[in-house]
Amino acid sequence: MADIDKVTKQKVKHEVIKDPLTGAETTGHVWDDTLMEFNNPIPTWWLWAFYGTIVFTIAYFIMYPSWPTGLAEKGYLKGTAELTYKADIIKDGKRIVGGGEEITTHWNTRALLAHEMQNDPNELKRQEMVKTVAATPLASVIKDPQQSQFVLAYGKGIFGDYCAACHQAGGQGVIGHYPNLIDDAWLWGADSADIELTIRKGRKGNMPAHKASMTDAEIAQTANYVLSLSGESVDSAAAEHGKKLFNTKGCSGCHMPTGIGMKALGSANLTDKIWTQADVPAAVDAKAKVAAVKTIIANGFKREMPAWESRLSNDEIKVLVAYLKLLSAN
Amino acid sequence: MASTATSPIVSPNEQYNYDIVKKFALMAIFWGFAGMTAGTYIASELAWPFLNFDIAQITFGRLRPLHTSGVIFGFGGNALFATSYYIVQRTCQTRLWGTGFANFTFWGWNLAITLAGIGYMMGITGGREYAEPEWYVDLIILVVWVVYFLVYVMTLLRRNQPHIYVANWFFVSFILAVALLHIFNNLAVPVSFFGTKSYSLFSGAQDAMVQWWYGHNAVGFFLTAAFLGMMYYFVPKQAGRPVYSYRLSIIHFWALSFMYMWVGTHHLHWTAIPDWTSSLAAAFSIMLLMPSWGGMINGIMTLSGAWDKLRSDPIMMFLITSLSFYGMSTFEGPMMALKSVNALSHYTDWTVGHVHSGALGWVAMVTFGSFYHMIPRIWNTTIYSVKMIYIHFFLMTIGILLYITALWVSGIGQGLMLRAFDEYGNLAYSFIETVAFMHGPLVARAIAGMFIVTGMLFMIYNVWMTIAHAKRNPVEKLASATAKA
Repeated sequence: MADIDKVTKQKVKHEVIKDPLTGAETTGHVWDDTLMEFNNPIPTWWLWAFYGTIVFTIAYFIMYPSWPTGLAEKGYLKGTAELTYKADIIKDGKRIVGGGEEITTHWNTRALLAHEMQNDPNELKRQEMVKTVAATPLASVIKDPQQSQFVLAYGKGIFGDYCAACHQAGGQGVIGHYPNLIDDAWLWGADSADIELTIRKGRKGNMPAHKASMTDAEIAQTANYVLSLSGESVDSAAAEHGKKLFNTKGCSGCHMPTGIGMKALGSANLTDKIWTQADVPAAVDAKAKVAAVKTIIANGFKREMPAWESRLSNDEIKVLVAYLKLLSAN
Repeated sequence: MASTATSPIVSPNEQYNYDIVKKFALMAIFWGFAGMTAGTYIASELAWPFLNFDIAQITFGRLRPLHTSGVIFGFGGNALFATSYYIVQRTCQTRLWGTGFANFTFWGWNLAITLAGIGYMMGITGGREYAEPEWYVDLIILVVWVVYFLVYVMTLLRRNQPHIYVANWFFVSFILAVALLHIFNNLAVPVSFFGTKSYSLFSGAQDAMVQWWYGHNAVGFFLTAAFLGMMYYFVPKQAGRPVYSYRLSIIHFWALSFMYMWVGTHHLHWTAIPDWTSSLAAAFSIMLLMPSWGGMINGIMTLSGAWDKLRSDPIMMFLITSLSFYGMSTFEGPMMALKSVNALSHYTDWTVGHVHSGALGWVAMVTFGSFYHMIPRIWNTTIYSVKMIYIHFFLMTIGILLYITALWVSGIGQGLMLRAFDEYGNLAYSFIETVAFMHGPLVARAIAGMFIVTGMLFMIYNVWMTIAHAKRNPVEKLASATAKA
C-alpha cells in the first residue's frame, strides 16, 4: 500500500477540527470532501448497560444449561436448578405416563413439562375429572351438572382441534358440505353408540346422480315433491307427478317411501325441514328452492367423514360424544 | 466546516461509475414495489381468504416467499448493491474496479431473483425460510456474490484515501458473512442434474439449527450490518455533521459482528433441540442489545447541533425515524428471545410484526431516505418534488405504526388465548376461536400494507419525474453539484 499512501498523503491533510457547536473534536480523517467523525468517547450509560448485559449473560449461563464443555457430566454446564418428576414406563406395549420411578435432574424443558403435568393443580383437577367421566355411564355424565360442565369445556377443545375445521366452531356445519351437529337431526343415528361409531370409524355418504335416468322435467317434478315433504309451498300438480317418480326412480329405496331416510345408509330425512345438501334456506323464492333441490337430484354427491379411532383416545371419544349430545340438546 | 480534502476537478459522472449505481437503484425501486404489493396481497388473503380464487399459483404459501425474497433480496439486495457501490467509490475517491464484473453482479443478481420468483409460483422451493431458491439459483447467487466481493475489495485496494471509512467495514462484513451463510445453509444434493429438486445435506434438529443460524444472520448481516453501512454514509452526509463517535463505531461494529452469529437458535426455543443451545442463544441475544443500539446512538447523535433539520428536511425525517424503529425493534428482539417471553410470542403474529418493524421501519425507511439523497446526485439534478417526499414519509410512518400495532394485538392476543385455562385446567379457547379473534387485526394489517404501497407509488412518480427532468436538462452543473456534495 506504500504507493497509495504516497499519493494520498499529498492530497489529504490530517487536521483535527474542533466543532464550534458542541466543542467535540474530529479524528482528523476526511472522506468524500465532507465526511468526518468526532472523537467523542463512548457514552457512559451505553458502556455500563453493555456491561450489565454481560453480567446478566454470565448469571444466565450459570443458572441454565449452557456451554458445551466436554468436562461436565452430560458434556455441558447443567445450571443450578433441579426438577423432580416421575418417569413414564412401558407396560405390555402401552406407555403409562408418570408410572415409573421418581427422577431428580437438572432443569431442562422435557423435565419441566413432565413436572408441570404431574404437579400443576389445575392439570391434576383435569386428570381427576377425566377419570370420573370415564368411569361414569354416559347418560349420567350428561345429567350431572359438574361433569356436564366439564365435558362442555374439555370437549370444546377436542371439537375445536379435530372437528371444527369442517363442522365449524359452533358445530353448525356448512350446507352442501358438512352436516349440522347441533340440530338434533342425525343422519347416521342419534344414539350415543351410533355417534361413537361415526367418530371411531368415519362415514361415507353417497347419493347417485339422476340426470342420466331422469329428464329435466322429471327432476323438477321430483324436486317439487321433495320440497312439499318439508311443508314448502309448491306446484301441486308437479309434486303429484314427483311423488310417483320418487317411488319409481329409486329415491324411495334409500329415503324410504315416506321420505324419512334410513340410518344404515345415512340417507337424509326429507320431511324434517332440515337441509344438508340443497341450500333451500338461502333460496330467495320458490323457483330458487326448486333449482337448489334439482341440482342435488341431477348431480348426486359424495361425502366422507374420516375415522378418528387412531387419533383420539377412548376417553377423548367418550367426552366428544357427551359433548355432542349436550350441544344438540341445548 | 472547511473541507480538508479536495476532489479532482472532473465531473463525478466521469470520476465514478454511476451507471451501475443507477441500474441497481432503479431495480431496487421496482422490486420494492413488486415485493410490497405481493405482501399486501397475501396480507389481504389472510383477511379475506376468497382472494385465493382457488388458483394454486397465487395462494399464500407460494406468494409468501415471493414477497419475502422480493423485498429482502430484490428491494434490499439491489438497494445495498446500489448504495455500497456508490459509497465505496465516494469514500475511496476512486472509480469502481471492474466495470464488466459490476455489470455481471447486476444481471446475475436480478436473474437469480426472477428465476427464484417464477419457481415459487410453480411450487419449486427448497423450503428453507428466506433461502427458498432451489440449488440452481443458489449456484447463480454464489457466483454473483464472489464477484461482488472481488469488485468491492479491489475498489477498496485502489482507494485514494489513507483510511477505510466505517460504512465500508459494515459492507465488507456483510459480504463475507452472507457468503458464509449462503454456502453452508444451502449445501444440498440435487435429485438429478436436469431436475429442480434437491435435498439438504443436514437433517433433523441439525438442519433446523443450520437454517436458523442462516435465518437470523440474514437479518443480522443482510438487513442490519449492511444497512448500518448505508446509514453511516447517508446520515452524516445529509445532516452535514460528522459521525458522533468514532470509538463507538469501532466497538459496536466488532461487538455486533461477533454476537450475531450465536443467536439463531432463539428461533427454536421449546423445540426438540438441546436445552444448552437454547440458553446460549437467549443470553447472546441479550448481549446483542447494546451493540445494536450503538449504531442507533451514533446515527441519531450525529444530528446533535442540527436537530432543526428534523423539522425542515424530509430526508432527515426518513433517516432518523428509521433509526428510531431500528432501536425499537432491536430492543423488542432480545426480549422476545428470552425463553419465557418466547413461549408467549412464538408462532404468533407478534413475530411477524416484529420483523416488519425492522424491515419496514428500519430497512425500508433508511433506504428511502438514502435514495432521496442519492438519486438526484447520480443523475446530477435536484429532486422533482420535496412535498412528495413528505407525503411518502407520512404514508410510510402511518402504515408501519398501524401494521405493528395490529400485529401486537393479533399476536399477543392469540398468545394469551392459547395459554388461557378454565378452572378445570382445560384450554379456554380452541385454535379456531383464536383465528376468528385475529380477523380484525389482520384486516388492519392489510390496510397498513396499502398505505405503504401507496407511499411507494409516490416515490416511483417522484423518481421518474426527477430522472425525466435530468434528461431534459443534460447540462453538467458541476459547480453546484460539488457544492452540494
